[in-house]
Amino acid sequence: MKETIKVTVNGRTYVEDVEPRLLLSHFLRETVGLTGTHVGCVIGECGACTVILNGKLVKSCLLFAVQADGKEILTVEGLAANGTLHPIQKAFVEGYGLQCGYCTPGMILAAYYLLGKNPDPTEEDIRKGLAGNLCMCTGYMQIVEAVKEAAKQLKKA
Amino acid sequence: MAETKYIGKTIPSKEGARHATGRGLYTDDFTLPGMLHAVILRSPHAHARILKVDPQAAREPPGVFTVVTPEEIEKKTHPFKPGRYAAGLKKAIPEYAGAIGKVRYVGEPVAALAARTRGAAEDALELISVEYEPLPAVVDTAEAMRPTAPLLFEELGSNLAWKGSLHYGDVAAAFNQADKVVREHLKIHRYSSTPLEPFACIASFDAASKKLTVWVNAQVPEVIYDALREALGLEDVRVIIPDIGGGFGQKIHLIRKYVVLISLLAIESGRPVKWTEDRSEHMMAAGHSCAQEFDVEAAVKNDGTVLGLKFKEIDDVGGSISTLTIHFTNKLNNLSNTYRTKNIFLEGCSVVTNKCPVIPNRGIGKPGMCFIWERMMDRIAQELDLSPIEVRSINLVQPEEMPYTTPSGNIYDSGDYPALLKRALEKIGYEKLKAEQRREREQGRLLGIGVVIGVEPGGRNAARDMAIFPEMKESPGSGGVNGATIKIEKNGTVTLFLGSPNCGQSHETTTAQVAADILGVDPEHISTSTPFDSDLAPWGVAAANSGNNFHLYDIGAVHGAASRLREKILTLAAHVLNAKSEELAINAGVVQATGSPLKKISFAELGKIAYGNQALMPKGFEAGLQATFYYTFPHGEPNLVPGPEGLVRAQFTFSAGAHVAVVEVDKETGKVHVLRYLIVGDNGAVINPQVVNGQIYGSAAHGISVALGEGFVYNSDGQLLTLTLTDYGKSSTMETPRIEVEHRPSPSPFTTLGQKAAGEGAAIPSPAAIASAVEDALRPLGVRVRELPLSPEAVWKLMQEAVR
Ligand code: FES
Ligand code: FES
Repeated sequence: MKETIKVTVNGRTYVEDVEPRLLLSHFLRETVGLTGTHVGCVIGECGACTVILNGKLVKSCLLFAVQADGKEILTVEGLAANGTLHPIQKAFVEGYGLQCGYCTPGMILAAYYLLGKNPDPTEEDIRKGLAGNLCMCTGYMQIVEAVKEAAKQLKKA
Repeated sequence: MAETKYIGKTIPSKEGARHATGRGLYTDDFTLPGMLHAVILRSPHAHARILKVDPQAAREPPGVFTVVTPEEIEKKTHPFKPGRYAAGLKKAIPEYAGAIGKVRYVGEPVAALAARTRGAAEDALELISVEYEPLPAVVDTAEAMRPTAPLLFEELGSNLAWKGSLHYGDVAAAFNQADKVVREHLKIHRYSSTPLEPFACIASFDAASKKLTVWVNAQVPEVIYDALREALGLEDVRVIIPDIGGGFGQKIHLIRKYVVLISLLAIESGRPVKWTEDRSEHMMAAGHSCAQEFDVEAAVKNDGTVLGLKFKEIDDVGGSISTLTIHFTNKLNNLSNTYRTKNIFLEGCSVVTNKCPVIPNRGIGKPGMCFIWERMMDRIAQELDLSPIEVRSINLVQPEEMPYTTPSGNIYDSGDYPALLKRALEKIGYEKLKAEQRREREQGRLLGIGVVIGVEPGGRNAARDMAIFPEMKESPGSGGVNGATIKIEKNGTVTLFLGSPNCGQSHETTTAQVAADILGVDPEHISTSTPFDSDLAPWGVAAANSGNNFHLYDIGAVHGAASRLREKILTLAAHVLNAKSEELAINAGVVQATGSPLKKISFAELGKIAYGNQALMPKGFEAGLQATFYYTFPHGEPNLVPGPEGLVRAQFTFSAGAHVAVVEVDKETGKVHVLRYLIVGDNGAVINPQVVNGQIYGSAAHGISVALGEGFVYNSDGQLLTLTLTDYGKSSTMETPRIEVEHRPSPSPFTTLGQKAAGEGAAIPSPAAIASAVEDALRPLGVRVRELPLSPEAVWKLMQEAVR
């Protein structure tokens, strides 16, 4: 009863037979083998599984893999180019916008999406943009600061 | 190490790049050949007898390998040895990894199975049939202690599983001499730290060698080691701890049950087995902090001096006896908070209820102790018509008294509490705020300012428990031990093996900074061996993300190992360069004789010699370039074990912080808005400011979220109503305030670099700070805050009651 789907992840196309009930988060982790997409709740509350699907920010645990058929996905593994960190990643590393790292991929993609829409966000904008991503470690301070710094760097570039 | 190039500075996070690129490796990321997937069948009842478990139908589907039922768990495993937190039990009660005979909380594991895929496993789980005889649930401690209450453990004859008391000084005299006795009844609710990554475990058993390897996101390897030996009789165990997605105490204790169950499935099936908990399982069964209730009395002089403190504590410990006293025993760790009171009486009652068992959690019991002190300080101020600042100030331990021995035997290493308080008031602009508050009150705005102070202890000493349970036959151990190994490879690279796992506290970064300064290399060139592997790591009892151990034991061990290795490097280099080792300096991985520019040799060249050229080594030189050091705290005495007076150090270093919360309460909804939150902290000599700040921000945010409503709620049948993070009320970016931090370090005279703890820290005083601020905001209504959480609903009720 498997279905064949074709999904492009970080620029590479995968054709896979999947069970209809397979979640997109698990498809990315287990079928494609990209474990940077984390799972913290499977019901859309925590944001650990956040990816970008056809340009939209989504929680991949709320979608089935079959719903991504024919679509393009960006995961955290697709951000750094040839070992050079994306400015958002760099800001998180240098500004300690992460501790255990479990929320980090989702946070970074949420920030990426936010800065794509709004290159010059206020603190309030940043907090709103990240409101769907929970972090249990940092108290968000250094995350918010890292996004501010990333915005600055991206504008310079 | 004359000057430090890296210690004390913020360097880019060494763990950061792998996490930011999605290359962190967590337990669930691993796959082994032939690996099966496990799921757990859990009790839907809060309290029930298990009449019959029939696994037959679940065994039939082709993908299912193994099912274990209570009967098999009882037959094939042993109960855990009663640990130190069950020491007060009148009668030993066997506790297995799964429920036997009875279930005592919703979510208690009953059976487990392993199948080819997670989907197949979940499908099969529904085929296990269990017949329960539901029993009335006991969810309230007062109800639980009634003689007619249904019993959780018939063997105990009561749900009051433990009661005990201690006293220090002359409490009766203090109360006789008091001008006034101030009384209060206080309560803290159930919450937890809800790490973003749930429990996960992979077990793989090699039947030929009888060696079991587990990959698990456990914070304390020793707990897993002991559990596997006790429950499965296995001695040859390897515990691999990959990146952990947050711990905070949550992954110390109950996780052992699942490691045993998954290991049993692996042994039975002959296949590696993986299990990953889901969020609702985590919420119902991974452990909660303890709901605590306190009857408090303070004997005070008219000037606010607290002569004595008495409190009786009732702990709602849930449906297990294995952590019965954990929240009470930890009261000894900050029993005196920052105050000089000499006469203290405390009594603990641990009551079992049909709720999730309690577990360690950021501060374990210490937020409760700080809450007692800080609520009482405000209450004393009100009753004596003094300012809350005055009352605190008059009772503070003074800097010239350091090191200060508390009545229970803790030794506060260093600190200037009055200065922390003073600076916090200055920085927040206290007087101005007070004036603003007066003005705004006239406009009907409910503004409040809460000022509290608290200590944050660090390090471990299990011997503390002997003061509480003098009947303890076996010493639970004393002090702590942890190790580190550091080596220079043949090619000159430096590798560090830490004795502990890491769940987000930047251990790799901080230890690299210490090693870098001692060895004279760039921290970028130091790599840390991950994951933690008990076969390789030089670990001891303090190898734990618990008790704020890292700053003491890991830093001490890395410092010791790196210093030893430096000696070796200099000995070898001196010989090769024909120089005196005193004339040598190391810089960027090159040993150089001062004054002779040509006399130099790199780590790589030294490595080549040390691992392969005997003729160039000095006589008697131990080949290789590596060193291991196991650290114990050299200032562990006095009071390492309780003497006849019962004095004992519960922990060894004492950070402190003054917290100020400025809040506004919404009159219509009861919602509390945190307008400002400031911490002036003393975490000793800081090794990496951004790391320490991160720990403070995170722990403060958690304490604030707890105070404002995050928590578990059960209904009267013992059903948990908060199974999701949303229902539980975890704060997002929108509710979490900005937190301002200023450091005023008083280096510890006892630790390797003057460092003290930072980790649990701000979670200890922050619930009290919010309570204080909310009460201050509601002062025009005459409201007294006695209870957490201060959810909008709770605050609204307080306002309604006051108006009536
Ligand atoms: S795992 Fe998808 S939102 Fe939590
Ligand atoms: S860094 Fe641990 S959850 Fe955000």
